[in-house]
Amino acid sequence: MIALHPHDPGYPAALRDLVPAPDPLWLEGLEGILVRPSVAIVGTRRMSPYGERVARELAGALARAGAVVVSGLAQGIDCAAHGAAIDAGGSSVAVLGEGITSFLGNARGRRRRLAAAMRAHGALVSPYPPIVPAKGWMFAKRNAVIAALARAVIVAEAPTGSGALITAADAVRLGRPLFAVPGPLGTRTSEGTNELIASGAARACLGPDEVARIVGLVAARSVATGDPLLDALASGPLDLDELARRTRIDRSALRARLVALVFSGAVVDQGGRFGRAG
Amino acid sequence: MGAVARTLGCALWGLETALVTVEVDVANGLPHFAIVGLPDTAVQEARERVRAAIRNAGFEFPLRRVTVNLAPAERRKEGTGFDLPIALAILRATGQLALEPDGLCLGELALDGALRPVRGAMPRVRRALAAGITRVYVPAGNAGEAAALGAETVPFATLREAVAHFDGTARIAAATAPAPAAPPRWASDLRDIVGQETPKRALEIAAAGAHNLLLVGPPGTGKTLLARALPSILPPLDPDEAVEASAVHSVAGLIDPQHPLLAARPFRAPHHTASHLALVGGGTPPRPGEVSLAHAGALFLDEFAEYQRQVLETLREPLEEGAITISRAGGAATYPARFVLIAAMNPCPCGHAGDPTAECTCLPDAIERYRGRLSGPVLDRIDLRVHVPRVPYERLRAEEPARECSATVRDRVCTARARMRARGRRTNAELTIAEVARHCRLDGAAEPLMAEAMRRRTLSARGYHRVLRVARTAADLEGSERIGPDHLATALLLRALS
Repeated sequence: MIALHPHDPGYPAALRDLVPAPDPLWLEGLEGILVRPSVAIVGTRRMSPYGERVARELAGALARAGAVVVSGLAQGIDCAAHGAAIDAGGSSVAVLGEGITSFLGNARGRRRRLAAAMRAHGALVSPYPPIVPAKGWMFAKRNAVIAALARAVIVAEAPTGSGALITAADAVRLGRPLFAVPGPLGTRTSEGTNELIASGAARACLGPDEVARIVGLVAARSVATGDPLLDALASGPLDLDELARRTRIDRSALRARLVALVFSGAVVDQGGRFGRAG
Repeated sequence: MGAVARTLGCALWGLETALVTVEVDVANGLPHFAIVGLPDTAVQEARERVRAAIRNAGFEFPLRRVTVNLAPAERRKEGTGFDLPIALAILRATGQLALEPDGLCLGELALDGALRPVRGAMPRVRRALAAGITRVYVPAGNAGEAAALGAETVPFATLREAVAHFDGTARIAAATAPAPAAPPRWASDLRDIVGQETPKRALEIAAAGAHNLLLVGPPGTGKTLLARALPSILPPLDPDEAVEASAVHSVAGLIDPQHPLLAARPFRAPHHTASHLALVGGGTPPRPGEVSLAHAGALFLDEFAEYQRQVLETLREPLEEGAITISRAGGAATYPARFVLIAAMNPCPCGHAGDPTAECTCLPDAIERYRGRLSGPVLDRIDLRVHVPRVPYERLRAEEPARECSATVRDRVCTARARMRARGRRTNAELTIAEVARHCRLDGAAEPLMAEAMRRRTLSARGYHRVLRVARTAADLEGSERIGPDHLATALLLRALS
């Protein structure tokens, strides 16, 4: 683990936009990673299947385009974004709201596995000294660091009052391009993001390509797949019966297609329900 | 008259039995009554019961030195089944009984001389029959069990009746085998369940091939209903299976005296607070647990994730071996435990993950922890995992075109089982690895699919064989000798690929 000071060459210049800039910034992982083009993808911890899919697809596409995906390694959207970036063979940076050692000691399950993967394919960074445990008030600073580090910020899914909206406000304050993913009307989990778009604070994120262009990269355009099966899975995972009803594909053909899609990596089998992979 | 008399009893350890010669010697000396030959407490207490019963039945208990030996003497004898042979041998040794009993004697005495039924009569009678002893003397309450096995059964209600029978003053007619119970009427039928095509298909495959099944779905979507419909599509018990399963129930003392042989496959549904001893058996002497009572039938564990982890881990051996050995300091008992496991659970603590009509309030970490309660080794032994979704109201109301009833499905299951029996096994789940290699050949189009599944490391080696067995069952249900790509795809998708 190293401590980066504002005068160090590896210290990301973008962080100096923060007043005061974190001094030092603690980092565990790849050292040069903070100066590469990056996009922050943040969102609610209580994500919907739609939010998870969108976060994974955006993070995967941006990581393939060469962007470092920055997020906060919280449950939900943050984890989905980090995981998809790593799965796509890209790199990812997690900004923690507590000391890095403290986080590594307390994380369990999926986040523990992700943290291990990110030390190898990215970095964990924190404005707090290694052994400082998490307190509720510490996360606002973490959110500001996320917004400052990234060249663009995407809010994938957030209800009103979500902490991700603090990151969004930081992005506006720091002049970072802000995107929000539009969600279906009437669902609580997309109220915050829809409001960001409606108020003009954020641009509607219609795919990874525009975001990539803003940070100086090229990503594949997101277009509807044209595959009725994948389209049916757009709003979240479905089981075999529901898929058969919606797509009107013959059962035996559907089974063959599904197995092929799972093997090709386009679809994930979640224990009898099938979801689109990022 | 020689003062030594002999009768025949039978000892029971779990399902293991051994014929025991009960020898009684009545000699001159100070009044004394001893039982030797490693009796446990219940057998020691026979002294008090036998003494009182003999006196209260109107006979004389000898005021002399009475020694009872249970031979072979080196193994511990337990239970109350030795009361009758001891009492008869004492009466014979003291000249109060004209004839020596010529068959297996079994029964517990009440203080007034009445005979009470004992647990585990069935395996003991079976042992006697195997040894060529066809006549058994049992309490009236055990007569059905003995007669059902084909033994010449003489039922006694009291010690007095027994003596009168042997003296020839009042012969008692042999009991007739009770009529087999009518096949039960099942409470839930597949026809009652709307939609759920894939879960129903999985249930049919589970019933045909005896594969284990996990149902995951929000509360109230019909997981329990589906599981409870399983008995209605299970094939009838084979005669040898019926005896084997009934013997376990006999040891547990759960036999219905009117219909001692099980008429249908057992369906056991213990509550999720069950301890591991209740599930796999235990105690001294070791009693059969739920896994053994479900032998030849199904074990339904509702709220699977709510069971204590330690309890679920104990299922690993019975699921693999089809039997459970309970070893204790006092000895080991082996019970059969070949059952179909049907487990049901919610997808998350609140139950609504993946339910489009209700919002799940669980954080992702909580869901992961909840699912993590099932260990990999236990999950690996469950071949079929299906999601049971909520069926929308409109579809519940809409009249579907003729839903299949259980009887139709059961016919298909029975036909598939006949194909399996032709291969030398009762079910595909019992196929050994060598037999899987022989009988579960994939046809040309299915082979690359399996190669791809193995290449992507979605299957363990155990999983590979289990998928092949399920694919075999899917093919058997369609009457197909070859396993095609669709059968394999069905097996792979039901196992959950990732």
